Amino acid sequence: MYKAVVIGGSAGSFQVITKILNSLPENFSLPVLLSLHRLKHVRSGFVEALSIKSQIPIVEPYDKEIIKPGKGYLAPSNYHMYVELNKRIALSTEEPVNHSRPSIDLTFETAAQAYRDKIIGIILSGANKDGAYGLKKLKQLGGTAIVQDPNECQVKTMTEASLKLTPADYTFTTEQIINFLLKIK
Amino acid sequence: MVLSDQEVNYFINTVKSISAYDFSEYSEKSLKRRLQKILIDNNLDLIGLINKLKTNPNFLEKIVRDITVNTTELFRDPAIWQTLRYRVLPQFAQNRNINIWHAGCSTGQEVYSMLILLNELGLLDKAKIFASDLNTEALETAKKGTYKYRFNIGYLDNFDKVIKENPLNYDEYNDVAYEKYFKIDKISDTIIINDFLRKKPIFRQHDLVKGGNLYFAKFDLILCRNVIIYFKYSLQNKVFKLFHDHLYTNGSLVLGMHETMLGEITSRFEKKGQVYRKR
Repeated sequence: MYKAVVIGGSAGSFQVITKILNSLPENFSLPVLLSLHRLKHVRSGFVEALSIKSQIPIVEPYDKEIIKPGKGYLAPSNYHMYVELNKRIALSTEEPVNHSRPSIDLTFETAAQAYRDKIIGIILSGANKDGAYGLKKLKQLGGTAIVQDPNECQVKTMTEASLKLTPADYTFTTEQIINFLLKIK
Repeated sequence: MVLSDQEVNYFINTVKSISAYDFSEYSEKSLKRRLQKILIDNNLDLIGLINKLKTNPNFLEKIVRDITVNTTELFRDPAIWQTLRYRVLPQFAQNRNINIWHAGCSTGQEVYSMLILLNELGLLDKAKIFASDLNTEALETAKKGTYKYRFNIGYLDNFDKVIKENPLNYDEYNDVAYEKYFKIDKISDTIIINDFLRKKPIFRQHDLVKGGNLYFAKFDLILCRNVIIYFKYSLQNKVFKLFHDHLYTNGSLVLGMHETMLGEITSRFEKKGQVYRKR
């Protein structure tokens, strides 16, 4: 029944995200949209680092790229990544939102508009509030909202801000997030 | 301020009916976001905005400017500039003239990056530089060639990567002073491009949606980076066709880092990275 997963993370999320990606089987049935903040001067090498042990291919997509199941789409450095209603990626160099480009809020909101109740949104560790508004929109549109357990987060600002703005469907540890995703048919 | 798709269409149709601007083939998500931002910045609702557009032509021009995205930087994405330096520009070294069009030049940093590179390669005198944008205010900034220092300081690193270093030979280091090309004034917080570069480009307003060739020229090189991401697929293909028509055979089109050509038009180009060479 689900059609997509969207994940947002910032400071302290790198190990969590690699754990999740490395656990997904090669034939995972959903696309995984990744909106992750990175250090300003670390512009390349991120997609390679995420790909090392991942069984699903991870790409920094091209504008207008068709979103396919079983593939990871990492928002390119310095671009916002949107999902258009026709399930294609759209990129933008508009000004940063809350000092962030990519903006997790924008990826979440547009992905939710495209996939409605068929999407899972996951907010991970991070040091700012980006993603909180996006997760709220996702939940309003019928999506399933998951927040990493703040007690497990290296930096809990982002997860706490998300939980404050909207009650999540699940507050999960990394292990529980992985188990949830693996059970999806 | 959240707009529905119908409201965005209402805006598009109104602008189309009262002006020469047509946003109907712009990417939906970013256009909607721009419009929402415009309403907030101007403290108007959609009806208020439309009424003002209908009665005030200057306001309409301002809104058109605000819809365009003007992110640019000196030597943005150094890898592309290294490709231009070592692979693309040397192909034109024997030409009598080199015609270059920056389509969507915004505030001009890309144009001046090109001029600096051409000068380093000894090709500046042969080059004719044309630069266009929809946004007249951005073009004025481009003509002035004066930028805020503190917004651009980070990009001196890009300059070093492209002009001073050689990725193919780590022993090579060209100690080119910044002052050769621009004056940095920390007190007034400005970077001012030197005159010999500033007088070179021909800046013109041009709307890629309308097509046409405002320079009545053909080009060896067209740069159009991070512009077509704001266009729908249909308009992207019209723009690619326009570029194809106005490139010399073996001339090249350079797109932004995450832009690509899709569909039938690809058969008319040979693609290598972000460089599309006309067959």
